Amino acid sequence: MLDEVKQVGNMVQAAARSAQPYRRHILGLPLQRSLFGQAARAATTIGLPGLASELDFPARLDENGDLFLDRSQITALTKALPSWFTPETLELMHTTHVAACDALVDASENAARVAASLSSAARKLSEDLANRMALVLAYGILSKFVPDVLMHALANAGDVEPRPFPEKSAGAELMQNTFALYQACCALNYTPQRLQREWPRVAPEVFHLVREFCNRQTGFGPLAWDAPGYEDPNYVVGLLHSAFTEVDAEQVRRRLSFAKRPAVSPSPAGVRTKIAALRRVLGFWLDFLERETWYVRRAFYVGMIPLLQQLAAGYRQKIPPFQLADLLFLDIRELAAGVADPAVIHARRQRYMENTEYLSLRGVDPGRLATMLGSP
Amino acid sequence: MTVYAGLAAAPGRASGKAYVIRNAEDIMTVPAGAILVLRILHPHLAPLLPRVAGLVVEEGAILQHATTLARECGIPAAVGIRDARRLFRDGELLEVDGYTGKVSRGTSIDP
Repeated sequence: MLDEVKQVGNMVQAAARSAQPYRRHILGLPLQRSLFGQAARAATTIGLPGLASELDFPARLDENGDLFLDRSQITALTKALPSWFTPETLELMHTTHVAACDALVDASENAARVAASLSSAARKLSEDLANRMALVLAYGILSKFVPDVLMHALANAGDVEPRPFPEKSAGAELMQNTFALYQACCALNYTPQRLQREWPRVAPEVFHLVREFCNRQTGFGPLAWDAPGYEDPNYVVGLLHSAFTEVDAEQVRRRLSFAKRPAVSPSPAGVRTKIAALRRVLGFWLDFLERETWYVRRAFYVGMIPLLQQLAAGYRQKIPPFQLADLLFLDIRELAAGVADPAVIHARRQRYMENTEYLSLRGVDPGRLATMLGSP
Repeated sequence: MTVYAGLAAAPGRASGKAYVIRNAEDIMTVPAGAILVLRILHPHLAPLLPRVAGLVVEEGAILQHATTLARECGIPAAVGIRDARRLFRDGELLEVDGYTGKVSRGTSIDP
């Protein structure tokens, strides 16, 4: 009887915990929020045990953009995975994951290339790009616990090597590139303070340097598309000021030389032991952890925005006052179907603009939607 | 002195004044030598790391962005300090022990 009471108590506690958001206000735009619904479906194609149905997916977003995780589903998945690991299933897991990331990058670049010339295909391309984003988003949710499962499996398999961290992470590369931009601007007599004070009315070569940097680093930034990131020169200029004002350049160089650690191979392809396979999968996952947001953000800025620009032209013919930013207030199914109800869009936009807590948290100012859609 | 226990994410010890990241604007004014207190360290914040002394992160997974970046830069880091952004105030002295994952608040900071 006492055990039963304890069990019921635990269930109530678990239910109470699951009613609390894991993260509040992570996404505000309906278009981006709707990718989460797609992510649950996409996750069923990954082939992991315990993810056969959309209902098995351990995460959901509510209409406030709050993220909820289902701890019981996560527990079930983390229990199911270790006994499923074999060299063959791990290899499959690895190739599927790599393919999902590569396919999203390819689809983004392809959309950027063809959007302007193929307006009739824009809807299909946007749907395809959204599906690929959703799959990578699904991996992003899984990355909250799968790497730890892999790490424990490695330890249980008797691996004693250091963890297969990437030789140089995406963040480290970004750090080096940002420092290089800072040095290049200083060489042209633009300290971070001067750059911030005079931007955008700066020397043409400095303007070009910053814009080029933004184009190359587009994708780095917060998960929420509407929060400013590296695609935005104003953000980059502000960040340079924050990162390199009153700082010893020699200390920065020392930090950028990176802590010495033994070079660790994540294990080459073709080595068929379980430990080798686990190291290979974990090695990619550790790299993915640093790039998961980049994949989805870059896909939006590089691939989706040119497609939205094409689609907006079609909507304007049907609904004359239609604005490009209105598309951000559709969900992906509406976008794919070509459906747009001005009253619904208006209501969603109003709700978004009234969510001042979200806007402040994400640094979204009143002109941000127009700015972000004008970014390359 | 109060000690908060988290997970050791990147080795080393550091002390300094807390600077809490609560919203997007806060990343634009990070003081040099600060102990950065934040929910999660995303890769896009990497350029700020050379100017900070230590990291205190709420996110609890041992394999996360902060683990990779802080180790690469040699910055002591403790992760899994629940509610760190609520617990600590800007300017208060903190000591981060990246070997044990402990964060101390109080007056034991080395000069």
